[in-house]
Amino acid sequence: MARFGKEFAKGLIISNPVFVLALGLCPTLAVSTSIDNALGMTLAVLIVLFGANILIAAIRRFVPNITRIPIFIVIIATLVTVVNLIFQARLPDLHESLGIFLPLIVVNCIILGRAEAFASKQPIFYSIADALGITVGFMIALLMISFIRQILGTGNLTVFGHDFGNVPVLGENPVAMFILPPGAFLIIGLLLGLFRRTGVMKGE
Amino acid sequence: MKAREYWSKVSPVALLTIVVAVAVSILTAVDANTREQIIAQEQQKINRLIGEMFPEMSRSEADGDLYAVYAGDDLIGYAFIAVGKGYGGDINILVGLEDEETIKGITIISHSETPGLGTRVAESPFIDQFVGIGISDVALTDDGGRVDAITGSTISSEAVVDAVSAAAMEKVSQLQGSE
Repeated sequence: MARFGKEFAKGLIISNPVFVLALGLCPTLAVSTSIDNALGMTLAVLIVLFGANILIAAIRRFVPNITRIPIFIVIIATLVTVVNLIFQARLPDLHESLGIFLPLIVVNCIILGRAEAFASKQPIFYSIADALGITVGFMIALLMISFIRQILGTGNLTVFGHDFGNVPVLGENPVAMFILPPGAFLIIGLLLGLFRRTGVMKGE
Repeated sequence: MKAREYWSKVSPVALLTIVVAVAVSILTAVDANTREQIIAQEQQKINRLIGEMFPEMSRSEADGDLYAVYAGDDLIGYAFIAVGKGYGGDINILVGLEDEETIKGITIISHSETPGLGTRVAESPFIDQFVGIGISDVALTDDGGRVDAITGSTISSEAVVDAVSAAAMEKVSQLQGSE
């Protein structure tokens, strides 16, 4: 059980997928425009990573080395397509705002990276811990980035329809650049620099 | 070839085949269970957009891809979807007709144009130009019409205008033919 906790905790900070492993930066840049999108993306990644880690850990003894990658990709793509269809049917608004980045989870390096580096070598139990830890780490990173971008870029904090009010000054004059792609690069770069500088997170 | 060597060549392919077969059956099942809902969601969205275009609408009736819009028992217009070939892909446009000659308005349902340039075809100054103009006037100003293209986005502007014009003509002749 101690090891379960350790595998979970490492995803939060010491192997944070975005700030330390620098994986999955493309969707991170694209969907971190609002907290709603960040949480929606986290939900999708949670389902896919959880399912992929369990399935891959379960069949790891039977998977021949040469067809390893195609098998992983088929499993991941199937899970992503299932999530995509269910979101489209049940959560059409979220599906629309995540757009192309939902199906693109197939090629998200976080998922295949964890399959290769962890689930293909470890038992199911620890693979679950790994999936949960990495997802929470991804969520922490996305929430930090999207919180800053939403505040600076729109001057307002609205989460799932709850309006927490406008920020003074920025409310009237939001800096729209932070909602656009350049703002994402800036914020990720600054946060990354801050964490390295203060020693909270170290590069690999 | 020894049996074991033979098996070591076949087994990776066999396992991959099994995985793919399982994946295909799961996807088929999920698709069958979500398809109706997805179509219903899209239908709802189109209906909502038609309602925004015709605020006095009480119901709409679909006849193939042509929607007849009613306020009470009065027929107040038609709506349909036009597809244009934009710069970045298809542009889906909801077109409303007030009568057989006049455009009620257009709404861009989805597009994948360049952010900041082509995306402006989905926004207010551009789409407002279509409100209330005759079908024959749907053309860029350079081609003798009444729609100004967006600077820097001629392809996107042209795509919208061409799609609206072509689809409107087709639908009107269809309407006149059925009378």
